[in-house]
Amino acid sequence: MTTYANPDVLVETDWVKANLGKPGIKIVEVDVDTQAYDAGHIPGAIGFNWQTQLQDQIVRDIIGKEDFEKLVGGAGISPQDTVILYGDNNNWFAAYAFWLFKLYGHRDVRLMNGGRQKWLNEPDKEMTTEKPNPQPVPYVAQPPDPSLRAFVSEVLEVARMRHKNLVDVRSPDEFTGKVIAPPGMTETAQRGGHIPGAKNVPWNTAVNPDGTFKSADELRRIYLEQQAIDPAKETIVYCRIGERSSHTWFVLKYLLGLQNVKNYDGSWTEYGNLIAAPIER
Amino acid sequence: MNHQTRVYNSIFEMLPGEENPSPLVRINRMNPSPDFVLYAKLEWLNPFGSVKDRAAWEMLRDLEERGELGNGRGVVEPTSGNTGISLAAMSRARGYHMRAVVPNRVPLEKKVLLKIAGADLDVVSDELCPAPGAGGEGSINLAKTYAKAQRHRYALPNQYENEMNVRAHYRTTGPEIWRQTEGRITHLFVSLGTCGTVTGTSKFLRAKKPDIKVIAVQPSEGHDVPGLRNVSQLGVSKLFDPSLIDEILEIDYKLAYRRAMELFQNEGLRAGPSSGLIYEGARRIIERDKTGVGVMIFPDDIFKYTANMVRHIPSLAEGLHA
Repeated sequence: MTTYANPDVLVETDWVKANLGKPGIKIVEVDVDTQAYDAGHIPGAIGFNWQTQLQDQIVRDIIGKEDFEKLVGGAGISPQDTVILYGDNNNWFAAYAFWLFKLYGHRDVRLMNGGRQKWLNEPDKEMTTEKPNPQPVPYVAQPPDPSLRAFVSEVLEVARMRHKNLVDVRSPDEFTGKVIAPPGMTETAQRGGHIPGAKNVPWNTAVNPDGTFKSADELRRIYLEQQAIDPAKETIVYCRIGERSSHTWFVLKYLLGLQNVKNYDGSWTEYGNLIAAPIER
Repeated sequence: MNHQTRVYNSIFEMLPGEENPSPLVRINRMNPSPDFVLYAKLEWLNPFGSVKDRAAWEMLRDLEERGELGNGRGVVEPTSGNTGISLAAMSRARGYHMRAVVPNRVPLEKKVLLKIAGADLDVVSDELCPAPGAGGEGSINLAKTYAKAQRHRYALPNQYENEMNVRAHYRTTGPEIWRQTEGRITHLFVSLGTCGTVTGTSKFLRAKKPDIKVIAVQPSEGHDVPGLRNVSQLGVSKLFDPSLIDEILEIDYKLAYRRAMELFQNEGLRAGPSSGLIYEGARRIIERDKTGVGVMIFPDDIFKYTANMVRHIPSLAEGLHA
């Protein structure tokens, strides 16, 4: 049995328990359901709100470098710290935050395997409502790493040239245009379907029933053999708003070790609103 | 307590049991076979309005007996509404606070009722995307979080895993039906949600009459019938025991609404959509089996689903405004 290409980016719940409160280790929860952190979280964990803290509040974009520095430094995290991210829905937004940390050049950031659900269901793991009161520290981020993020111009080129792997991680119903978004979602698009040439590999293909990632062998079989994603080519992953795709981006880039994997965070809510963009159903 | 004069010292004395069963009412105009006697068990006539009074009471009493409630400790429960309404009313009447965690798709009427009953309400956007371990379980996970992180404030009955949910039906629903049909029951028709009803009731009835047929109905996938679960969603309930069920029928969920309306218009039964679905299952089995004595457990009435009814039967929206 082979191991993940970068096993260091993943920690188990037992590891987190054993390292709670240790200097240099900072735990951050990021959830889809923003009420979850307030109801209870891992002792000492900071909570980031993806809607209000990880997004620019005026322009549709991720937070800028300065806001990232303010947010992360304000949470008492220094560039040398090990950041452990976890969250609900199998780490969707935790993976999104992971992508953001990497984009701004944070060296040591990891996901807690299984996310909040695994911690919650393990009897020996504590949760609290007590919020930490971190001392702000100076944080200088790197300029955003362009090798991790795809913009629409590149995606349109791929739709035309088909020279890169394009992976759509939404549900089959979203991929075929039967629905434009999962029920109840407010962020939506004018048109349903997918980007021409994209392969549909729903994000949850990568996880076990308990929310942990599948083994390296299984992941390799699914993505490289069954789905025939060509590791020699560059890869772009997308979903609806860029959080589920962060999850698969993490799998392809860090667990399978593919070179040049980008997250297209504009995703379907950008592409599906473009005038004259080619769409397949 | 006097069930003859119906004078009670508290609402809790009205809870159903062998001595005070919920009514069985015979289906007449909508029964497809003259040789089949079909009854509906009207659970909405329980004091808090649904079949969930039984499980809620059993779970609450169990927590009380184990000293888990009081001194600032109340309950938190993931619910599609009815269990929450029963638990909220019971808890508040006994002096405990109650928090209900409901999926967003729960009808507005139920959310408002929960607040009127005194529950603190959390609404969770479940059903984002199929997710092993996470899909549609946001409300269960959030309720578990409260119970874990705020143990001093919350006990979690958790109807999806609590054996008391089964015991309630083994202790009350089963014996009631046995006595009400004088042991003549041949078919039991139920829906599947937490599976407490089907597991508890059929365990009791099967012990009395091993060849009884237990038929469960399921809404089709992607359904909009609150409280029920499709087979694909049943993994969440630890109380599901397929060995007790003879047949599971999957029925187009839209028929639940249509049949509910027909039951009101033809039988005078103000049945909710899950009852409509159960009736449709019973109707199909009766057309096949022709003879027998059947009991359908009708979980609740239509009052909490008027907005859903309008959504699924658009003609109801016509002529509502001057």
